[in-house]
Amino acid sequence: MTEAGKRLLDPRVLARLAGLRLRVRATAEGVLSGLHRSPHHGQSVEFSEHKEYAPGDELRHVDWKAYGKFDKYYVKRFEQETNLRAWLVVDSSGSMGYRGAEDRLTKLGYASTLCGTLAHLLVRQQDAAGLAVFSGKVTSALTPRAEPSQVNAILETLEALQPGGETHVEAAVAFLAERARRRSAVMVFSDLLDRDERMLRLVTDLRRRRHEVTVFHLLDPSELDFPFDDPTLFLSMEDARSVEARGRDVRKGYLELLGKWLEQVRTACGEADVDYVRVRTDQPLDEVLVPFLARRERTAA
Amino acid sequence: MSLSFLHPALLWGLAAAAIPLAIHLFHRRRPKAVPFPAIDFVMQARRETERRLRLRRILLFAARTALLAAAALAIARPRLSTPEASAAPGPAGPAATAVVLDTSASMAYRLGGRTLLDRARDDVLEVLASLGPDEPATVVICGGEGAPQADPPGFDRLALRRLVADAGQGFAHSDLTTCVTAAVRALGDPAAAATSRRRLVVATDLTASAWRLDAPPPVVTTAAGALRPEVVLLDAPRGERLGNRWVGGLVAEPEPAAGAHGYRIGVTVNGEGVEAERDVPLLLRIGAGKDERTVLRSLLELPASGSTRKALAHDFAVGGPAVVTVALPPDALPEDDALTLVVDVPRDVKVLVVNGAPSAVRHRDAAYFLEAALSGPASPVRPTVVDAEGFAKARLGDYDVVMLLDLRAPGPKAAELTAFVENGGGLFVAMGDDVDPDRYDAEVGGLLPAPLHVVKTAAERGTPGAEAKAARLAEIDWDHPALRVFTGQAREGLESVRAWRYMLLKPGAKEGGARVLARYDDGAPALVEARRGKGRVMLFASTLDPEWSDWTIRTSFLPAMQRIAAWLAGSLDERRSAPGVVGAPRPLELPAGSSLAAVVGPDGRERREFAARGGGAAEGPPVFTPDRPGLWQVKVRDRATGGERLDPALAFSAWPDPRESDTRRLEPAELTAWFGGEALARVASDGKPSGTREVPLWSWLLLLAVGAFLAEGLLVS
Repeated sequence: MTEAGKRLLDPRVLARLAGLRLRVRATAEGVLSGLHRSPHHGQSVEFSEHKEYAPGDELRHVDWKAYGKFDKYYVKRFEQETNLRAWLVVDSSGSMGYRGAEDRLTKLGYASTLCGTLAHLLVRQQDAAGLAVFSGKVTSALTPRAEPSQVNAILETLEALQPGGETHVEAAVAFLAERARRRSAVMVFSDLLDRDERMLRLVTDLRRRRHEVTVFHLLDPSELDFPFDDPTLFLSMEDARSVEARGRDVRKGYLELLGKWLEQVRTACGEADVDYVRVRTDQPLDEVLVPFLARRERTAA
Repeated sequence: MSLSFLHPALLWGLAAAAIPLAIHLFHRRRPKAVPFPAIDFVMQARRETERRLRLRRILLFAARTALLAAAALAIARPRLSTPEASAAPGPAGPAATAVVLDTSASMAYRLGGRTLLDRARDDVLEVLASLGPDEPATVVICGGEGAPQADPPGFDRLALRRLVADAGQGFAHSDLTTCVTAAVRALGDPAAAATSRRRLVVATDLTASAWRLDAPPPVVTTAAGALRPEVVLLDAPRGERLGNRWVGGLVAEPEPAAGAHGYRIGVTVNGEGVEAERDVPLLLRIGAGKDERTVLRSLLELPASGSTRKALAHDFAVGGPAVVTVALPPDALPEDDALTLVVDVPRDVKVLVVNGAPSAVRHRDAAYFLEAALSGPASPVRPTVVDAEGFAKARLGDYDVVMLLDLRAPGPKAAELTAFVENGGGLFVAMGDDVDPDRYDAEVGGLLPAPLHVVKTAAERGTPGAEAKAARLAEIDWDHPALRVFTGQAREGLESVRAWRYMLLKPGAKEGGARVLARYDDGAPALVEARRGKGRVMLFASTLDPEWSDWTIRTSFLPAMQRIAAWLAGSLDERRSAPGVVGAPRPLELPAGSSLAAVVGPDGRERREFAARGGGAAEGPPVFTPDRPGLWQVKVRDRATGGERLDPALAFSAWPDPRESDTRRLEPAELTAWFGGEALARVASDGKPSGTREVPLWSWLLLLAVGAFLAEGLLVS
């Protein structure tokens, strides 16, 4: 990836780009240029073309008949299956509107960029991508389609999102249970700050319904580091609660509780075979997407 | 047990302890409102730390308050007073009290910014305040001039308080044994008979030099018999050691090597109970008042105790009385860190030597030997030699002394010469072959100590046996200022002078004021002196060349001629007695025709009240007692004109009493034993007569403040 490309994936740079489409395009191009060309071209038996053998190609794909005809080694390539259905589930609750510094994206902005980029990539490889946005309930949804116009529809929906309302993961899970009958890939973009104690069980339930679930757990650096010292009045972003505390007095306790919770989330996801990706919103997007995509391709191979 | 404060006025500082509370109440910071998603964790963390934080806040508040309160209290110097168990309790009942306040020079010692006298005065005032209404008291101020005054005990507390408050710092030595004896004697007065107890309180610095413990201890004589008083010694230094360093001696001696008016100034510096020190500056100052200036800075190496000497050299610019001060850097007792001395630097004496018989052969020239003797390198005499012709033209008023050597006769200068002498000039006449006795008697007969008669030849020089027959000097007046310099073997230089020929004087013709300083062994006057008007005339009956006498080749010739010239010019009169100590009476030798107008002290104040004492011829010279160390100047009144002027010749210096500079202290047990042992006497090192023991609390409070400070730091971090 070029230096300019890398810089473009910096959330601080992306935050300065006005439209989501622009951000998605920039991210998608950056991510694509950063991905290695995969030696795997799908597991379908539908033949696509021949390619002259080069060291590193798998010997099992050598077309021995062609060798008999042309006395040269050719490798057979196949078309990728295009029947993957992906549900992109975005949390638009009030807490997702948080950003710890002016030059960062809000968690919702970061999630939208991630989600849009993935939609773009999915449709580009002819997979079907759908969208579900939830806070207290599912506020908008797009059924998965593999048409290029689907990307536009998804981006339009994401662009119009405003953070607000409480987080109810249950609403999203109920929606998917009803709408996603076939086995799908479910990618959840949320900070998981749901006061419902069943939240983790609900997320892992999706896996039990044989969906491939990935949780993108979005957290702002200020949530992770708690950089407050002075007396501060902390206001809830989803309801009317508030608490006054001196930052340096509660920092230690806060970080302990947070650490414990994050570990709990990670463990629960691991145990339920849910792919868990913790995302800091100051993290370059390629650092999130490239490993994820590479992992997916390996799984698919 | 009670709590008191040394500086109660500083207790207002306790208000500072309220600062943390005020800040807590009025200076709370308004919290900044921040929307935050993970508020549940913040709330939970706050719940969990709430109790710990509250405790920490309370401890922090307590530490800050304790820090400020302890510091404020420590500044006010709290003391915890507890009654002392044993200290000479004595029987119950009212006591007649005699208080002795030591105001001697050593009480000027400064400790903690106050003099010991200030402390002692406060102690005595406290004693007076603690007396019951039925307890009579008297106060003896010890340190003034004369015998201590001890009034019978009375009840006029106001007068006693005023007496104590007005007691000024003395500069003289005080004999506390005498003062205590006088005070105890006062306790035996019938006025104190109504009380059953007698109490003596002495506020002093306990310096050893103030006490004579070989004297019998004081006893109160009452109707019932002798009674030893209860004694409380209020120790003004509170048990502290009094280290002191002082200039103990100062001498000035002529030092020709230092210049024409050169002096060697020897300084003795003493120390007692002080640290050894190197490179201590020692200043030599010349002059008095606003004319005083530092002429020399020297460095001393001072031992811890004992004395050290230093010699300084200085060449005075002019002759006459000069004030010399040697000073150390001021210490706790600065009054004895400088000594002043008045030195009479010899003036230049201008002498006109009239050579009546000049000769081309030097050793036959009448003035050759005299001129050589007078113009020595360290000589204050400046001779000018003229012959008879030059004498006729000379202006005698330009000279201090005229010396006529083998001059036939004064001739036309006789009248001028007479007037010269009458007005204070000096005249020396030496004989010779050319001298015409008759003309002398005719022209200046009234001037000479005695009329000239005839020349006597004791032996013809060069003839056999002449040496033995030559006349020798005898009956020499060694006490005369001009000859006083010859002592011991040096006298041989004068006694061995021989004369072959000399002029005989007419005996008894003119007795008025003539004084024979030396005679020949046949009884004929050799050296005669007389005062004429304001001047002096001296006649030597032989020659000042080897013609008639061999004095010129004797060792005595040079000093004798220099001193005779100085004596005739009047400069040898300026001899003053050595400086005395403060408090020692000193007679003032006033010049004729004047009376004492005032004595000006080192503080610049005139003492006219002393001028009336003495002064008359019958009463002898007036006597003055200096009451402080330093330079004292005398103002005289001219009887003829009535005008007053400072006479530099009468200035004198008074030195601090060395006994007061020696600040070695008595062992308290030694003193209490003298007063009758611990049953009767005790030393109160805290200055409290009541027998209470005071524990200072400030150090503990400072410790508490430091602890609070450290705790605050720990809690904040």
